[in-house]
Amino acid sequence: MDNWKKLPGCQHITSTECNFSSVKLKNVYEKIELRIRAEKGNNASQWHEVKPFIPFQKAQIGPLDVHLEAEDKAIIIHISPPGTKDSIMWAMDHSSFIYSLVIWKNSPSPEERTETVYSRDKIYKLSPETTYCLKVKAELRSPRRVGLYSPVYCINTTEKHKVPAPENIEIDAENQVYVLKWDYAYENTTFRAQWSHEFLKRIPGSHSDKWKQIPNCEDVKTTHCVIPQNVFPEGIHRIRVQASNGNNTSFWSEEKIFNTEMKTILFPPVISMKSVNDDSLHVSIGAPKESENKSVNQLYPLIYEVIFRENTSNAERKVVEKRTDFTFPNLKPLTVYCVKARALTENDKWNKSSVFSDTVCEKTKPGNTSKTWLIAGICTALFSVIVAVYVVKVLLRCINYVFFPSSKPPSTVDEYFSEPPVRNLLLSTSEERTERCSVIENANTLTVIEETNPIDEDHKKYNSQTSQDSGNYSNEDENSGSKISEELLQQETV
Amino acid sequence: MSAEPDVIRKCTWPVCLVGLFVTGILSLDCSLLDVHLRRVTWQNLSLLSRMSKSFPIECLRESKAFELPQEILSHTQPLTRDIKEAFYEMSRQAFHIFIQDTFKSTWEEKHLRQVQIGLDQQLQYLEQCLEEEEEENEDMREMAEDEWTQSGAPVPQLSNLELRRYFNRIDRFLKDKKYSHCAWEIVRVEIRRCFYFFHKFTALLRRK
Repeated sequence: MDNWKKLPGCQHITSTECNFSSVKLKNVYEKIELRIRAEKGNNASQWHEVKPFIPFQKAQIGPLDVHLEAEDKAIIIHISPPGTKDSIMWAMDHSSFIYSLVIWKNSPSPEERTETVYSRDKIYKLSPETTYCLKVKAELRSPRRVGLYSPVYCINTTEKHKVPAPENIEIDAENQVYVLKWDYAYENTTFRAQWSHEFLKRIPGSHSDKWKQIPNCEDVKTTHCVIPQNVFPEGIHRIRVQASNGNNTSFWSEEKIFNTEMKTILFPPVISMKSVNDDSLHVSIGAPKESENKSVNQLYPLIYEVIFRENTSNAERKVVEKRTDFTFPNLKPLTVYCVKARALTENDKWNKSSVFSDTVCEKTKPGNTSKTWLIAGICTALFSVIVAVYVVKVLLRCINYVFFPSSKPPSTVDEYFSEPPVRNLLLSTSEERTERCSVIENANTLTVIEETNPIDEDHKKYNSQTSQDSGNYSNEDENSGSKISEELLQQETV
Repeated sequence: MSAEPDVIRKCTWPVCLVGLFVTGILSLDCSLLDVHLRRVTWQNLSLLSRMSKSFPIECLRESKAFELPQEILSHTQPLTRDIKEAFYEMSRQAFHIFIQDTFKSTWEEKHLRQVQIGLDQQLQYLEQCLEEEEEENEDMREMAEDEWTQSGAPVPQLSNLELRRYFNRIDRFLKDKKYSHCAWEIVRVEIRRCFYFFHKFTALLRRK
């Protein structure tokens, strides 16, 4: 907060205005804060802070410097961009200004013309030996700024030159060359043509040294010359032509702007048509197929001229469409219609059109389409019935599987266990094997006959071996042993 | 960035097809502006790459962060017009930098000319379409201008101001380094980054 600096030109001011132009601003795009206070003797008021602002946003376009040079039918105009050489306000915009110019002649009848020019440009189509006056204002496109008109400047055009300049310059692209043509009314004249980059127009200053001689167009005696395409780099350029009859040379002709992209050929589009119903046809325009050599840069907005007619008649209907899909309505059923289309550029600087595409013919559908609907309906019904039956079948199968399972074992188990005993073991029913025991009670002759199923005993032993620990096992052995010895004793006594 | 222009053209061809079919019914003449811009921006980008064989390593020391204002195009709903204006501002400033003819020995004149021509083409496309939009929105424009002259502060064009500040940093860097070879190389790479960033946003134009 303590980097407030004294504003030069605004110290000890007695009026309510001050000019601080001498401040050397480093950057006109950064916010500036100002504050001001009143002082009387040793007393001073509080600081009043001015709302912060960005100098660039408040800047207005200042007065312009204009120089004029007269020819017989044209005036060359030099406008210096706003701001002095070392001013930084428009430093980044000096190639962005365009100038709006109003020119008029006072006598015999005042007629005005408004033109938009670059900082160095020419105004053509004037009359010789006439006084013309003009005023200019500068404009910036982005951000939008408009300056005030300059003062009025007047100049006289010279008398008609002995050698007139060529007129109506045209350039066309053909095969691998450009053909430059112009008009000239007199004989025994040689011509030369020069070219320059269009972008130089944006840069203020004189570029008279930047014009280059076009090969094949130097000292030509005809009003045309053929230029190979590799002379010009891709882009937008300007061409001018000058005539000479030995001693004298004319002024330069009007500059012709040309875009090397003009040499692209527009290919015909691909058109297709199909019948939607009995009274309309739907047309689709597709992009043209690529040519064998370069892929075409058809990137300018295209519109299509569509010629539509009944096959049997010659009456054509021409429609210009921007869309690539559209419909012709209100047609007759069961009639053949034919259509063809060609592409056009919308650019009014140069009109280009392709050749017509192939003619495509299509027949509209028959009327009374209720029959078709009926058939379609029946087919759909049949199909849905079949589908429903299948679905029900599947559902039933599922229900059976879940709620009524079969008691058969799966087949895989069957084949694996083919031996009956094992099978029985694993798949035995709830009926258990039990042994019949009969106890004959007699205290002395106690014969305990135990019929045990050998398997069960093993089972028991097996069980005891595994389920009980070794202590029990030995116990068991003793018991069985004692039982057996007891039996023997008893048998002996008997 | 070693793609040849022919390949680039072939790649933009499907883009054109998509553009032609997808745009459908449009009332603007500049409905294919995004396709133009995409092609031209990419061409300029590759031109900038080919101008110099490789970035000189000794210049790395002097490199500086210019802080490209990426937020300008990352609004959730940028208006088509705002994108076009931003594109225009960027193209103009880039053109302004490359026409300062103090780099006679740094690059081949042929390449430099191509870059200048390419940028000029970009500007011409944008000017044509912005003018047409302006004519359509004449009333809106006048209202906006009135607001501007009365309050002193314009309808916020913050994004363009940020762009200006960015290019101003680049401009001052060049001046401070007295337009040295290294300074130009650093600027070349920076502007290429900027083109790449804008190239991505031509897709936004198409969607609108």
